[in-house]
Amino acid sequence: MRKPVSAFAVHAVLALYTALALFPIILVIMNSFKAKRAIFNTPLTPPMPWNFDPIGYSKVFGDSAIATYYMNSITVTVGTIFLTLLFGAMAAWALTEYKFRWNTALAIFLSIGIMVPIRLGSVSIIQLVSDLNLINTLTALILVYVAQNLPLAVFILSEFIQQIPRDLREAGRCDGLSEYNIFFYIILPLLRPAMATVAVFTMIPVWNDLWFPLLLAPTGGKQTITLGVQQFLGQYITDWNAVLAALSTAIIPVLVLYVIFSRQLIRGLTSGAVK
Amino acid sequence: METASQGRVQQHGIVGMSPGAYARVLIFFLAPAVLVYTLFSVYPLLDTIISSFYSKQNDGSYVYNGVANFVTLLTDPTWSAPFWNAFINNIKFFLIHMLVQNPIGLLLAALLSLPVLRFRTAYRTLIFMPTMLSVVIIGFTWQLILSPLWGIAKMFLQAFGLGFLFGPWLGEESTALITISLISVWQFVGIPMILIYTALLAIPDELIDAATVDGLNQFQAFFHVKLPLIWPTIGLVSVLTFVNNFNAFDLIYAMKGALAGPNFSADIMGTLFYRVFFGNQLQLGDVSMGATIATMMFLIILCGVMIYLFLIQRRLQRYAF
Amino acid sequence: MADVKIGNLHKSYGTVEVLKDINLQVEDGAFVVLVGPSGCGKSTLLRSIAGLEPITSGAISIGGRNVSDLAPAQREIAMVFQSYALYPHMNVENNMAFGLKFAGVPKAEIADRVNEAARILQLEPLLKRRPRELSGGQRQRVAIGRAIVRHPKVFLFDEPLSNLDAALRINTRVEIARLHKLLKATIVYVTHDQVEAMTLADKIVVMNKGRVEQVGKPLELYYRPANLFVARFIGSPAMNTLAATLDGKGKAAAVAGVSLPLPAAVSGTGEITIGFRPEHCSIGKTGIPARVELVERLGETGYVHARTADGAALLVEVKGDPGLAQGAEVRVAPAAGHLHLFDGEGVRLAGT
Repeated sequence: MRKPVSAFAVHAVLALYTALALFPIILVIMNSFKAKRAIFNTPLTPPMPWNFDPIGYSKVFGDSAIATYYMNSITVTVGTIFLTLLFGAMAAWALTEYKFRWNTALAIFLSIGIMVPIRLGSVSIIQLVSDLNLINTLTALILVYVAQNLPLAVFILSEFIQQIPRDLREAGRCDGLSEYNIFFYIILPLLRPAMATVAVFTMIPVWNDLWFPLLLAPTGGKQTITLGVQQFLGQYITDWNAVLAALSTAIIPVLVLYVIFSRQLIRGLTSGAVK
Repeated sequence: METASQGRVQQHGIVGMSPGAYARVLIFFLAPAVLVYTLFSVYPLLDTIISSFYSKQNDGSYVYNGVANFVTLLTDPTWSAPFWNAFINNIKFFLIHMLVQNPIGLLLAALLSLPVLRFRTAYRTLIFMPTMLSVVIIGFTWQLILSPLWGIAKMFLQAFGLGFLFGPWLGEESTALITISLISVWQFVGIPMILIYTALLAIPDELIDAATVDGLNQFQAFFHVKLPLIWPTIGLVSVLTFVNNFNAFDLIYAMKGALAGPNFSADIMGTLFYRVFFGNQLQLGDVSMGATIATMMFLIILCGVMIYLFLIQRRLQRYAF
Repeated sequence: MADVKIGNLHKSYGTVEVLKDINLQVEDGAFVVLVGPSGCGKSTLLRSIAGLEPITSGAISIGGRNVSDLAPAQREIAMVFQSYALYPHMNVENNMAFGLKFAGVPKAEIADRVNEAARILQLEPLLKRRPRELSGGQRQRVAIGRAIVRHPKVFLFDEPLSNLDAALRINTRVEIARLHKLLKATIVYVTHDQVEAMTLADKIVVMNKGRVEQVGKPLELYYRPANLFVARFIGSPAMNTLAATLDGKGKAAAVAGVSLPLPAAVSGTGEITIGFRPEHCSIGKTGIPARVELVERLGETGYVHARTADGAALLVEVKGDPGLAQGAEVRVAPAAGHLHLFDGEGVRLAGT
């Protein structure tokens, strides 16, 4: 019998697509370390001693507040993940464990946000944030992102909580734990894998978002790295060394983290993927 | 025997807890999520929809004027022309994703899920990488690659003897939108790939073995056994694509700015909304009309989700293994 | 230790009544087994005693104290769950100590109690292990240990052996019986396995459809089942039951065309059901006519499956090989003194 799909063809397709996916990223990083002449004349040559020139990086780190923007992004992302997981797990627990009159209605109310993008309410969000005196603060970004990510978090965490055997919660009740302690000492530790999945779903869009930083914290040193790079690129648009270095500065940390955590991340994506 | 406490009425299932204590438990667990979500998601959305029924008077106050904003948006040429332009562009944007991104995602997922494939994890990880990166980065990177100044794209075409095809794709009205759509496809192909890949992995090997025993080759087994089983996932991927596309903004703003040029040829709903609401070099910001456009976007997304829920999802049988 | 009294207990989910007027007394130090088919309400009753399910009406008292409205932890009970319910993120020692920490027991005393339980259950080498590093039998012992350290007034067991394999189940059964003697504990134990019930219990409570069918010592249930349900449920293989008609004098019953003499005169007439166990009947020249359908030979004993002309199935236990072939016509005679009579409602006839 002739094999209908030869292994060679499969690898050829996959390798070609992988090359297509990686090429632009590699090209930018490679050229960011080169002198301007080398960038234009030999763009496909890797950085070598004779064409090496870190001028772009000295501009990026000298002229702008890249470090601050990084800190802002980290603060916003970590804060968002923390609050989304905490509030989401608490709500998911209450919705799955306790009977009360508005249980189903509340679950539906919370799930609306899975499908309806929060951006559509931007007009009023800006009004609200400025009424609360939170314009150009990271707090505003965190609150909006938590609201944006809670529905999916509640949905995923509810599914996981349902899988925790009922006996475990009841053993806790027999052991004399209050409902609060059952949640914090038994349920929360058991939710760790599920929370990793939710963290993955939350982290990427928050870190990469351009819209809300542009609307809510566009100036005053509260820019996130995504917006900061965007503004920097606009400013230095003709300075190729600076542009390439700025792009690389934004890419490399994400790349390093991705390579380290890709296994967990993909597993998180595949396990949490809505059936 | 003690006196039996007759006719005990239990409001909840936790023995030995007063209704007050039970209510406190519920409030403790639910209040933070419900408050943040209501205040920063539901309220702004409703408020935006309500704002779309008001318009600003000369004295700066807002007055209810029914559906007048919508009528203006759809009929007044100064509004309807950009609106329909953005709407049509958005549909093109969506169709390119449906016709290019999702089939490629399906193909890659099908290849990755083949049994005994070496380097599976490496391929999967690397192909997913662009999806991780910010749209801003991706947009700028491609701008550089496609730039005639740098000439990378031209160089590649010439290597294949296709140099004559090269043009300033991002700068021309006829090609800007398609080019940006393809860049977006390039970045996000990882999402349908991963979702479909997961669905394919969930199909038990026995089914494929059974198909092989029945005499189907690998192609036939894929199209007649696997594909029917993953339609629900493809349906989900489609509705996710729809919602994300009609909500898109970042890539076009990052590459072309709020004006989505040249001559608004890459303008979609998200950029139109931003421009109308915030104003730009050409016009002042208009809260009411911004809210009206957001409401239209809401309605469009709602229609898409409803079509999915009531027409598509119902007909797709889900299988549990 | 303490006694448990349950009076007029009812429980409904909406309009569905799952426990109907349960009255039950568990004496101090007794081992009481709740047994019945699945869905009979035995687990619900146990969970109601534990306080994990609210009751609709009635009262539960433990050691003379009405606990009906108390939280599980205030009832001084300990429960061993079917799935063991060990906290997966804590080691054996912490699993046992966890409840005591929240009860504010001093550290030194916690350590003493955990060590004592570990000694009794031979868990000492396992104290630092996580549940997933333990075998099924070891987990089971930890679950019991977690109950022991609480020094409860009553132990509640919910089908504790059903997740173990057959060999381990017998060992653990013996172990639980030993612990009962050692701790002089009051135990309420739920199972669907009547062998477990017969071997462990001081007193068995047979439940069916939310009601208590009969309460009694194991052999009482075996020799004098109060009704047809208990008669068929207790004993393995199950009792033979046949429709019969009492003659006017109450001295004989007509079964499948023959007249069976009754050991003692019974009052009443009409349609009844007679029952006798496979081990309490024999194949001979007299008795109920039937045709052999299958003979199972187990070595020392054998079982003859036969059917009467009316189509009722009969099972007879025989010693060795009966030497019968399929299709043979035989007569089955119940042993004297082992005939059970039930009226049209399935209740044991008075005086039998």
